Amino acid sequence: MAEVKTITRKEEEVRKLIRADDLWEPVGPTPMPEIPDLRSWDMRLLKTYSPFYAPFCDLCCFCTYGKCDLTEGRRGACGIDIATQQARFVLLACLIGCSAHAGHADHILEYLIEKHGPDKKIDLGPFIELEAPNIRTVVGMKPETLGDLKTVIQYVQKEIAHLLDSTHTGQEGSFLDYESKGLHASMLDHVGMEVADIAQIVGFDFPTSVADTPMIDMGWNAVDRSKPIILLVGHNPATSCTVVDYLRENGLYDKVELAGICCTAIETTRYSDRAKIVGPLSRQLFYLRTGIADVIMTDEQCIRTDITIEADKVDSRVVACLDKAMYGLEDATDREVDGVIKEMVEDKKHFAILDPKKAAEVAVKVAMKISPHRKKEWINEEEAKELASKCTLCSMCERVCPNLLGLGKAMKDISEGNYDEPRKLFNGCIGCGKCDQECPQHIPILRVMQVVASMDTWKIRAGRGAVMDTEIRNVGAPITLGTIPGVLAFVGCSNYPDIDDVADMVYEFAKRKYIVTLTGCAAMVAGMKKFEDGKTVYELFPPDFDAGGVINIGSCVSNAHISGAVIKIANIFAALPLRANYEVMADYVLNRVGACGIAWGAMSQKAASIGTGFNRLGVPVVLGPHSAKYRRLYLSKNEEDDWRIMDARKREIVDTGEPSPEHIAYVAETKEKAMVMIPKLCIRKNDTPQGRGIKLNHYISLYKKYMGGGLPEDLHLFIRRDPDIPLVYKKEVRVYLKEIGWQPKEPVGLPTYIGTYPTKVPLDAVIH
Amino acid sequence: MSATIPFHRVNVLTGVKSARLIQDAGEYADLILKAERPLLVLGPLLCEWSLDSKLLIDYALDIARAANIPICATATVKGKLTELEVKPDSVYDAVEIVNHLKDYDWRGVRREGNHDLVIFFGIRSDLAEQILSVLKHFAPHLKTMTLCKYYYPHADYSLPNFRKDEQWKEFLESLIDNLRPQAQKKES
Repeated sequence: MAEVKTITRKEEEVRKLIRADDLWEPVGPTPMPEIPDLRSWDMRLLKTYSPFYAPFCDLCCFCTYGKCDLTEGRRGACGIDIATQQARFVLLACLIGCSAHAGHADHILEYLIEKHGPDKKIDLGPFIELEAPNIRTVVGMKPETLGDLKTVIQYVQKEIAHLLDSTHTGQEGSFLDYESKGLHASMLDHVGMEVADIAQIVGFDFPTSVADTPMIDMGWNAVDRSKPIILLVGHNPATSCTVVDYLRENGLYDKVELAGICCTAIETTRYSDRAKIVGPLSRQLFYLRTGIADVIMTDEQCIRTDITIEADKVDSRVVACLDKAMYGLEDATDREVDGVIKEMVEDKKHFAILDPKKAAEVAVKVAMKISPHRKKEWINEEEAKELASKCTLCSMCERVCPNLLGLGKAMKDISEGNYDEPRKLFNGCIGCGKCDQECPQHIPILRVMQVVASMDTWKIRAGRGAVMDTEIRNVGAPITLGTIPGVLAFVGCSNYPDIDDVADMVYEFAKRKYIVTLTGCAAMVAGMKKFEDGKTVYELFPPDFDAGGVINIGSCVSNAHISGAVIKIANIFAALPLRANYEVMADYVLNRVGACGIAWGAMSQKAASIGTGFNRLGVPVVLGPHSAKYRRLYLSKNEEDDWRIMDARKREIVDTGEPSPEHIAYVAETKEKAMVMIPKLCIRKNDTPQGRGIKLNHYISLYKKYMGGGLPEDLHLFIRRDPDIPLVYKKEVRVYLKEIGWQPKEPVGLPTYIGTYPTKVPLDAVIH
Repeated sequence: MSATIPFHRVNVLTGVKSARLIQDAGEYADLILKAERPLLVLGPLLCEWSLDSKLLIDYALDIARAANIPICATATVKGKLTELEVKPDSVYDAVEIVNHLKDYDWRGVRREGNHDLVIFFGIRSDLAEQILSVLKHFAPHLKTMTLCKYYYPHADYSLPNFRKDEQWKEFLESLIDNLRPQAQKKES
């Protein structure tokens, strides 16, 4: 009896927190879900998409029992096996990612509540009524003010604590349960990201309810070196927006150049179209070492942890603006400004200043004082040749290169004045600088690379935030019927095999009338290649969430608007209630929304949680080859797996034999193979014959383009009846189907996993 | 196990099971021929790398032909094979074939049973090392071998880090020479 009472009290608490009596929609089965609440959905997912573990280490070294050898079926001193240890590690990565965004959200909320008060209304403009699809679906609340967002982030933080607790020695013992927890953490990540970006849009007046946002200059050559330069590195816009305010208020807007690297750059350009984007994370060290930045302002995430050491090398000054990364610097938050400026200018000191206004004033004044004395030059060809000629081809640089680049040959080419091959090679440089520190000849390899680095400038559209409800109404039907072949999301970091890859893929799929959304570093590099007429994908394709559109959604935290968009399709188009109804939303997305994420350069823990959050929502993600180092994928065994599904119209389970989507977390070896896999991962059981035909048309044509002709080996699995066959390939496909003895099968009227596993959700809940 | 691992290994252990380094092509050939159902997994680098202007894919096909080893083409290797008028026994991506291989009951690319020796050739080393780790931990029913010019600790059998491409070329040619007569003998 006592237990029943506790649960009731808890439910009452939750109902109060989410204002359950607000009747915008009935409260679904899982408001503010805790670890077990969506476990059965996870187990259903994991039954088809089994975890594929690639251990990065044979051991566990988490406690003083170890190190424990986990090879050949051994268990650690606590009893853990290698699969469970991998799952635990993945959960930790997802938790780090989720915490980074939730921490960002919490900080920015505090800052903006301080600035505007907790009652500041959430208004995302005339075309966005469904302002927070992730929050409404997961938490069950319709947030109306910044103060409401605080309630949401407190829920996320509570869950993080429980999930982190589960990774302690002697807790969870099942890899599947750890996976379920990882999926939970990553779903919460999308909630945290949504909180952060809604707060930013409302609090900083970022663009919203608009598609045609301004074009921004990008590239290091876009930065005006005749002016004092402040470089912003990180993710949190509290600092950078305050610098813009300071410049505006003090008549310095035209006199100081603001440039950014990584997501802070994107955020700053959502606030000021005069700010510049230097480039993605992979260009951070390279740019720092040019020494062009007078002052570097850091906030949080993905910053070089040796940034003060690098700054010292080139006489730049650092202001660390957030408590998460203070680099051992003196905290000058409470000091008087003039003294801090004096020490930075004269003694070349760096400081932590956690008050954005004060940090802005100091950074601007220091940059203006020291920029006239900047003596930093781009390397010239003679100097590069001389440095490169010291190379003895010992290959030590190549041994430490994470992207496996042939640097020795590049040094030899440069020493001989041949730049074409090194120029291509530099496209694969992720900018870690490990080659420099390993070179026994002390060749500053990154500096030498300046001679082959592109001096081009490019255009990128400023991040536009959430997809508009009006856009969803227009595309909901063609997406779920399949006539818009898919919604793609190019997201994440810049650990690319080649920096051109993302632009090439975006171009290919936008031409094919997919809806292409982008965020973060992926959004930047998509703009770093020029196609016909010297235009980038942002100039060539419309910015609308519609067939053939290329849409920069925004920064890392804006990823929540992409997951939000697919939820909106279920809610706005299909009219399925979303409130505290995660399972129904995810089931709808998995079976009926042809969406696919591409985290081609994924590097960070945040990318792990963003991707895994998409997975729980039923969106497959394609990763670049190095991402096998994340240790876990979710793969099916294609035709050999169980593809039975419920047809909700007939209320019976049918064996479709159709592996759609085939995998939900998958690594492709090459860009070309990824481009063959992406259209396949957009196939859904709900496709109409016309939609299926369009999707298969892309699958076949890309297969022919990159796989040497012929037809895909698994094509027959995706053809239900003759009308599914694309018109252009009708004859060829019919011959193939006859050869293999293919038999037609009935399409499923209303495909769903609800009803195929134990769940509280009734089958009627998915019928609309 | 290497003698360099200290006695109290619990404090320093960084990995206990690593590939047997083999430089003798004859020994490699024996291991391949001893296998009942070997599989050669071809990666996309084979279409880019060459030794004395002979593409690595040609070496790979010579090895496959010499010992009648079925081929799995990963990534876009199938395109090159089509150009060379070779039909692979299967087309999967690297992670997909490994996902099948780790299943003891899988029937193999020729539907004759799962493979007992899987030879990897031409997959970029970071991905290759990870998929070898999958098989090392989750596929005790098979052995793995690599033919690339670097040492792969997660394999069962690996070549060393060849300092010069000539050494690698010599090894591959010698392997083919060793495989041909022995394979013929095995068949007869």
